[in-house]
Amino acid sequence: MIEFRRVTKIFGSGATAVSAVSDLSFTCPRGAFWTFMGPSGSGKSTVLHLIAGLTPPTSGQVLVDGVDVAGMTPAESAALRRRRIGYVLQAFNLLPFLTARENVGMPLVLDGVRQAEVDKRVTEALAMVHMHHRADHQPTHLSGGEQQRLAIARALVIRPAIILADEPTGNLDRAAGRQIMDLIHDVNDRTGVTVLLVTHDPVLAAYAQRVLRLVDGALHQEMALDEEPDDPTAPVLH
Amino acid sequence: MRHGAGIRYALLGVVSQHPEGVHGYALKRHCERVLGNFWQLNFGEVYRVLDWLSAEGLIEHVLPDAESSRKLYRITEKGRQSLDDFVLMPPTDAPRPLRQELAVKLLFAGPGRLPELLHLIDHQREAYMRQLSLLGVQRRRLARSQLDAFVTQLLVDGAELSVRAELAWLDDVAQKLTERFRPSA
Repeated sequence: MIEFRRVTKIFGSGATAVSAVSDLSFTCPRGAFWTFMGPSGSGKSTVLHLIAGLTPPTSGQVLVDGVDVAGMTPAESAALRRRRIGYVLQAFNLLPFLTARENVGMPLVLDGVRQAEVDKRVTEALAMVHMHHRADHQPTHLSGGEQQRLAIARALVIRPAIILADEPTGNLDRAAGRQIMDLIHDVNDRTGVTVLLVTHDPVLAAYAQRVLRLVDGALHQEMALDEEPDDPTAPVLH
Repeated sequence: MRHGAGIRYALLGVVSQHPEGVHGYALKRHCERVLGNFWQLNFGEVYRVLDWLSAEGLIEHVLPDAESSRKLYRITEKGRQSLDDFVLMPPTDAPRPLRQELAVKLLFAGPGRLPELLHLIDHQREAYMRQLSLLGVQRRRLARSQLDAFVTQLLVDGAELSVRAELAWLDDVAQKLTERFRPSA
């Protein structure tokens, strides 16, 4: 569960102070798939940074499974990111001189997991993103969509409780972007990992069960979209 | 397009996909699965259109065997020709008007009603987001099904693009209303 209690984040001070997040409160249950939508500069990415403990709130509390992220020691905060949170960014940040398999396994290797376990979990993560046939390729030989699949596998390999995705399809064409969203939707569905995703694109935002629209760092509108029609053949539009 | 040539040719098209003939009920089910998001059909409507198509000689009835009393519909040569002609004809649909009701409200609301207007826009935005969500459900369902849903996928693409445009328009309206009506500091 992720909880924001009246969180404000101000960058800078005095006349140049910018309020990136302004008095934001919400409670996101475990296993949910939410998106944050809003124009650039609306504070969407800052929300993810606050959850990952990459930046402390100016006021208010950010709780991940009941623990105040700002109260963690640097080691605890790093452990949270390494073991419980998978981060997916617009830039894939894959290491070009490593194979797909090595890239995906990197978080486990850095965490000192033994090789047999790394191999097992990498195979599992590659299968989940349908990239097992590309395991020995280097990222530069893969398409943008495939590279993002690897980045998602790298996020999944730690078996995270939470995936934070910041414009994960921003560098992809529409068809590839949609496939990535289908994949994230599917992963949330199958593994129950909580997904918080940031996008400015309403079509992508609508993959989620709930959309939080931010304007100037404040929660402007919360939209619940998770009602499916009962009859699968029923028309859903007028 | 709902009651015009579109629906007649949609049904004719579906009949043409069953060269061995198709029952009225199966026909309606097929239409619902492929086009259900875009057209709501009731049985009366389906049978009225089928009668019209028969009267025009575009489809014919056949009885599958001596015992069965259930009619099968099958496309005729004339029907096939007519479908070809229709497919190649330029569409006659007029562009959909923008949200007329919202436009009327905007027209008659004064500066004092800014919060209510913004609320209306939020409400409208939520309705569109739900539409996008349901279109996504429909897209994933089609992708999983065995149906050849190529055209339906294209229709879903089109619907998504138009909802996206309406949402962009709402954002624009909200911003311009705020600039126009918000008391200057």
